[in-house]
Amino acid sequence: MLEVGNLHKVYDGHGRRVTAVGDLTFTVPEGQFACVVGPSGCGKTTLLRVIAGLLPATAGEVRVRGSRVTAPPAGLAVVFQEYGRSLFPWLRVRDNVELPLKAARMPRARRAALAAEALAAVGLSDVDSAYPWQLSGGMQQRVAIARAIAYQPRVLLMDEPFAAVDAQTRADLEDLIRSVWERLGVTLLFVTHDIDEAVYLGQRVIVLSAAPTTVADDLAIDLPAARDQLTTRADPRFTELRGRIYARIQKAKVPQAEGTPA
Amino acid sequence: MTLVRRGVLLLALPVLLFAAWWVASAGSTDFYWPSLSSILAAFGRTWTWDRVQADVLPSLGRLLAGYLLAVVVGVALGAVIGSVRWVRALVEPLLEFLRAIPPPVLVPIVILLSGIGDRTKILVIVSGCVWPVLLNTVEGVRGRDEVLSDTCRTYGITGPLRLRHLVLRAASPQIVTGARQALPIAIILMVISEMMAANEGLGFTVVQFQRGFQIPEMWSGVLLLGLVGILLSLLFRAAERGLLGWYHGQRAGRREW
Repeated sequence: MLEVGNLHKVYDGHGRRVTAVGDLTFTVPEGQFACVVGPSGCGKTTLLRVIAGLLPATAGEVRVRGSRVTAPPAGLAVVFQEYGRSLFPWLRVRDNVELPLKAARMPRARRAALAAEALAAVGLSDVDSAYPWQLSGGMQQRVAIARAIAYQPRVLLMDEPFAAVDAQTRADLEDLIRSVWERLGVTLLFVTHDIDEAVYLGQRVIVLSAAPTTVADDLAIDLPAARDQLTTRADPRFTELRGRIYARIQKAKVPQAEGTPA
Repeated sequence: MTLVRRGVLLLALPVLLFAAWWVASAGSTDFYWPSLSSILAAFGRTWTWDRVQADVLPSLGRLLAGYLLAVVVGVALGAVIGSVRWVRALVEPLLEFLRAIPPPVLVPIVILLSGIGDRTKILVIVSGCVWPVLLNTVEGVRGRDEVLSDTCRTYGITGPLRLRHLVLRAASPQIVTGARQALPIAIILMVISEMMAANEGLGFTVVQFQRGFQIPEMWSGVLLLGLVGILLSLLFRAAERGLLGWYHGQRAGRREW
């Protein structure tokens, strides 16, 4: 369970105050797959970093499974957009996946088993002794996903994880993340700027306004649970939801003059 | 590049220069510029196993001790200074002052403080070698990737594991650069410290030959120092290849699939 309550974030520095997040409140129940979309520059990454405990909130609070976030909480994993920079280039794929488990003082055999299982789940068993830079971008992001899976998180945050891979790889990774979520039963918050991706993946889409950010819309995605790149995207309901979110975001790009806290 | 081609490229210039030296100095009657053939004859005569044991090995021992100590101290201090902002602000002016002092100037002072034994010479080598290692480590530690830092924080990678896998490995290309810069400094300071206060060692021996007007022997000592330099840089390169394989691989470009 993930609760965001009246979250407010101001960047203050160099004589300039920038309100990145105005007033955000939403709750993601245990096990839900929620997507967050919004116009570019709307503070999506800020929101994610605050939830992850990497950035302090100016006001308001974030609770992960009931406890207030002041530092990166246990049982929470993040998959970053910059896969190339979030893997350790001096460690082999297997060791990258195992490092967080090593930090948690897990016995070697258990570590190896979890890493092997996670790498198998993302289809990378055969490259476990390669270095990340020997792999393609899509494969590197798979390694980052495998690392998150092996960590066995209760909450998984993903920050535009597929923004930097090509379209076909992206479709594969989308299906991969759906199946991972179904298998792990993890609470998943997936930040993206891509409306199609949000509708295709999520059970729910939270639409953010332009900065200072508030929740502009919150939709349940009532598409069948079994998603497929061909049939789901051709579903009239998919088109309808996509159109509604698109319209909301167009409207949200013009920041409202009233109703935003100072 | 084939092995043969690399070998030819590696050796071509030294062989050519040696040949030119040989020809130009052949039959030289100048007392101070003896012929290369007489220098090489002196080389074989001078650097016997006895002399290697008595003078060369102690020198190399001090060189390695001073150099390794400088690397350890430089990396340790650099990691702290690079990681903690207020420490950096505090010591930066001092570092600029200290590193501007030419280490040979310290030799008489160190002799006063700790005599003329091995300890003095090792200290002199450390005092010169520590700076490139330290300053490069500071830069390397400061310049580590933010996303990787966030990754460590998110996954609870802290303490010694973080030090080893994030702080030091991320800075290792710069640390190696600093260590490479320190290597010739170590050789220079080894010789200088032995020239000023010693009764054995390579630098001492070369000065003795000069004072005794054993000119070919003196030149052979210079030649030996050069060979020591080549040997150490080859060893360094082998160590670097093991340590920075990932770095060169990453830079060589991502493989396309």
